[in-house]
Amino acid sequence: MSDAVQPATGQAAADGCGAPADAAKVTSAGNQAVVQGTVTQSGAPVSTGYARLLNSGGEFVAEVPLGSDGGFQFFAAPGDWTLRVLAPGGIRAEQGVTAAIGQISRVNVAV
Amino acid sequence: MSRSDVLVDAEWVEAHGSDPGIVLVEVDEDTSAYDKGHIRGAVKIDWKKDLQDPVRRDFVDRAGFEALLSERGISNDDTVVLYGGNNNWFAAYAYWYFRLYGHQNVKLLDGGRKKWELDSRELVTDVPQRARTSYAATEQDASIRAFRDEVVAAIGAKNLIDVRSPDEFAGRLLAPAHLPQEQAQRGGHVPSAKNVPWSKAAEEDGTFKSDDALRALYSDAGVDFGRDTIAYCRIGERSAHTWFVFHELLGHQNVKNYDGSWTEYGSLVGVPIELGDGA
Repeated sequence: MSDAVQPATGQAAADGCGAPADAAKVTSAGNQAVVQGTVTQSGAPVSTGYARLLNSGGEFVAEVPLGSDGGFQFFAAPGDWTLRVLAPGGIRAEQGVTAAIGQISRVNVAV
Repeated sequence: MSRSDVLVDAEWVEAHGSDPGIVLVEVDEDTSAYDKGHIRGAVKIDWKKDLQDPVRRDFVDRAGFEALLSERGISNDDTVVLYGGNNNWFAAYAYWYFRLYGHQNVKLLDGGRKKWELDSRELVTDVPQRARTSYAATEQDASIRAFRDEVVAAIGAKNLIDVRSPDEFAGRLLAPAHLPQEQAQRGGHVPSAKNVPWSKAAEEDGTFKSDDALRALYSDAGVDFGRDTIAYCRIGERSAHTWFVFHELLGHQNVKNYDGSWTEYGSLVGVPIELGDGA
């Protein structure tokens, strides 16, 4: 497992590109611009689905599967982003988020 | 080579996935995805543990690949249908890798695991038991794998396609945005490379765009189809996705994947690097 974000240090062996759906979320941003959040439907986590990060021009940048808790995490560049959620049943939702170095920006999406 | 020779859709897999001579293989980096649920009958391959040499930075050798496929119960005559997460990045990488070692009958499930999940199709946890085989691989096919010196020599002479995100291409990020950014090597791209992110070749559901849309995508980016092509990314899996588009869907010859990619090139001493968004 090369990309599990280690909860103790927030460091990952970044020699892969996958993002385990249930990787622990960092609790401190360090020198990263972290975007974290959860996806819920009627208060319950949406555990099957995908979170996509789009840049300010609407271009796709990254995607992760949702965790069993409906959670997702990105290490972005500072700036404004759009978070798009895709889930079974044709569910789509979007929300804006601003990322900054040293900060965990949280965005919770209800679908 | 045409699309129907190399891609199957979910309906085909539901109808034929358990036919004799068909082997479904899920390829992921995060193998917990397979353990959580996979397409009925699929075996798993871990792109790192199974396909990379544990010591040197290279692939498992021919004997290692033979041992892996024999153990998984895959024979030379089987049609291998690959799928996986990350919009089929690692499945495309495995596809290229199977071709590298001479496996002839290999296909990708269009849309991979994502489209299968978004369509709410069946996933099971039963692990199939396949009888052991005696798989025989060929020597690696050097015509589809590029090494670093060839990439340096290709600057300004061949199509170099950098399929990473624009921020990685420009040198603002060193890794995709869902990963931590700490890495030692320099940022930027190989001079003269065109930036055509892999994602532009895929629809939102992970399926490949039409051949016409793909041709237009690369033409508009200034790719000269009359030239030989080398695709790269960070570790060679996203560029395997683009290699698949060029070599398998669009039928171009002389297309190589540079699996050393930016983690190698960006750490080389003395090679030219370009910064910024490119022309």
